[in-house]
Amino acid sequence: MSTAVQRTSRPKAGAHHSILDRFLFEVSRYSSTLLLLMVFTVETGVVIFVIRDLRAADSEVQRMYVGAVLGLRGIGGLQYDAQETRRATLYALTTNDSNLQVEYADQSREADRKVTDAIHEYLGRARNDRELEVGKRLQEDWIRYLKVRDEVLASILEGSIKEAVDYDLTGGVPSFDRVRQDLEEIKRLYDEQASRQLAVVDASSRRSAGRLVGVLCFTLLFASVSIWAIQRAKMLNALKLAKLQMDFVASVSHELRTPLAVISASAQNIADGVVEEKDQLAKYGAVIRNHTRQLTELVNQILLFASTREGRTHYVMRPMTVEELFESVLRNTREVVREAGFMVDVQAEPGLPQILGDVSALSQCLQNLVGNAVKYGGTHRRIAMRAFLHRSELPHTEEIRISVEDHGIGIDSTDLPHIFEPFYRSPSVAAKQIHGTGLGLPLAKSIAEAMGGKITVVSKIGVGSIFTLHLPTMKKGSWQDEPLGSDLLTRQ
Amino acid sequence: MLRRPQILIIAVLVLLAEVCAQKTVRTSADAQTLPADESIAIVVNQENTVDNLTMKDLRTVFLGERSHWTNGRRITLVMLEPGQPERKAMLREIYHMSETDFNRHFLQGLFTGEVFVSPKTLATPVGVRKFIFNVPGAIGYVRLSDVDSTVKVIRIDGRLPEDKDYELRLLPSTGTK
Repeated sequence: MSTAVQRTSRPKAGAHHSILDRFLFEVSRYSSTLLLLMVFTVETGVVIFVIRDLRAADSEVQRMYVGAVLGLRGIGGLQYDAQETRRATLYALTTNDSNLQVEYADQSREADRKVTDAIHEYLGRARNDRELEVGKRLQEDWIRYLKVRDEVLASILEGSIKEAVDYDLTGGVPSFDRVRQDLEEIKRLYDEQASRQLAVVDASSRRSAGRLVGVLCFTLLFASVSIWAIQRAKMLNALKLAKLQMDFVASVSHELRTPLAVISASAQNIADGVVEEKDQLAKYGAVIRNHTRQLTELVNQILLFASTREGRTHYVMRPMTVEELFESVLRNTREVVREAGFMVDVQAEPGLPQILGDVSALSQCLQNLVGNAVKYGGTHRRIAMRAFLHRSELPHTEEIRISVEDHGIGIDSTDLPHIFEPFYRSPSVAAKQIHGTGLGLPLAKSIAEAMGGKITVVSKIGVGSIFTLHLPTMKKGSWQDEPLGSDLLTRQ
Repeated sequence: MLRRPQILIIAVLVLLAEVCAQKTVRTSADAQTLPADESIAIVVNQENTVDNLTMKDLRTVFLGERSHWTNGRRITLVMLEPGQPERKAMLREIYHMSETDFNRHFLQGLFTGEVFVSPKTLATPVGVRKFIFNVPGAIGYVRLSDVDSTVKVIRIDGRLPEDKDYELRLLPSTGTK
């Protein structure tokens, strides 16, 4: 009710709703597992996304550590070695022992080699023009200092201490100060870089947290929508089933009421003595018999359908010929066909292999198809029932096909996917006041499937329909005659 | 009881063993004290432009009677400590002096101003090499086997230490000059 109101007041939203409902209904037809699979897929995607994001943040931190912290450590070592170069040179000034002086000179050179290597390494790692510029300046200043240092060392070793001190004061101290300033600048650059990277890591961390919250919100929303969709799909299914059952009850009531009314009226006429003549009595008797049979068939059909749905049907399997099956079908439908003024053309390919199945069940299946052909056969009152062998290129795919063809009203393409659903009745058929329960085709389908086969349909509006029963042929050795009582195979 | 010929044989054998033992001891002692004959290379700093010196110029330099190289660099003499075979060879071949005369020469020369350079004394040939490497005007000596790429070997009278008639050798030459 509310849905109807909603559709009237907000047609666009209602249209969307209808599309969504149709989608949900279609999805629910293939069970809720599909929806859960979709949820699982999306959740997996979300988890992968979160893991990648966390890994990216982790890599960022590692890069920062390598770039800034190790860089700062490296520059600390560089400063120490530069100081060591100078310190060892100055130590050489404090002694007159040439052997010790040579040792200090050696230590100074060892330290200067480390500094030179470290500067070279720094230049190799320089990532921008500023770093490259400072690195090159440091290299030049260091070379200048080393020249002075060499002179100082030479003077010390020569024994010219005063000269060495003069060299150091005039050249060594200023050039080493420049080196120190360069190193300080490099350190400052590293600090700036570390600060920048820290900001990047901080931003990345905040971004990750934001994303995580977003992803969690999305997940929550998606899960809620999924649950809602599953619930709604189930509800729609239940509603549809309820509607079908209501239609079925209405249809069955109608189907029961008509013959019952006829039987009641006929019986009343006989009881009231309105019918006295023998011919009239016979006519009324025939009417009562026919409608009783119609009622019996209807009740049987319903009971059979109920038993197939509950899995209580026992099929007695045995080999049979197609002729035998046709004979049973024609015998059981003769009356209906004759009364409707139809003719059935039967055609069976000679030499067809035997079928393994339940004769009465398969006969019921074909009876339903023939019954439908009569019911919807229109004015062209001919029905064709054909049987032939179909061979495929693939091995073990030989099957017998039995088709029931009419030239009646046909089935609309929108109805075709639903005609095998229980209680389904095409709106156009219902509108034409053609009686039925919507159980004939589902019953035929379940019987065909129980026999290892299937039913297919080809139909065109105004041209007619061809229902084909596909049955597997009996394999050699799949059935063996046994002496007593075991010639029946029961299938449930 | 031993007989007289047996005692005699034993005595001869003991005597022979003693003589052999004494000979072995002397051979190993000679090997320890007497160095193998080897050339002594005169080495300078790699930057030094001097490639060749006459024996006379070499003596002048080592006696401290010359203060600067032709490129203007001050000359620094490097000697090994007293007692080293290389130093002994240098005193013998260049200075023609004993250790005492050598010390007196430099003390007296520095006092009178005739000697301009006081020699630096180092303990090892490695120290000599490192010193010369650090001091552009340094000159010293090492055995040929102690020479490496950090120093430059100069010719003496046009001859290198590898040459057959090179004069500066660890052991005194047996021939007459």
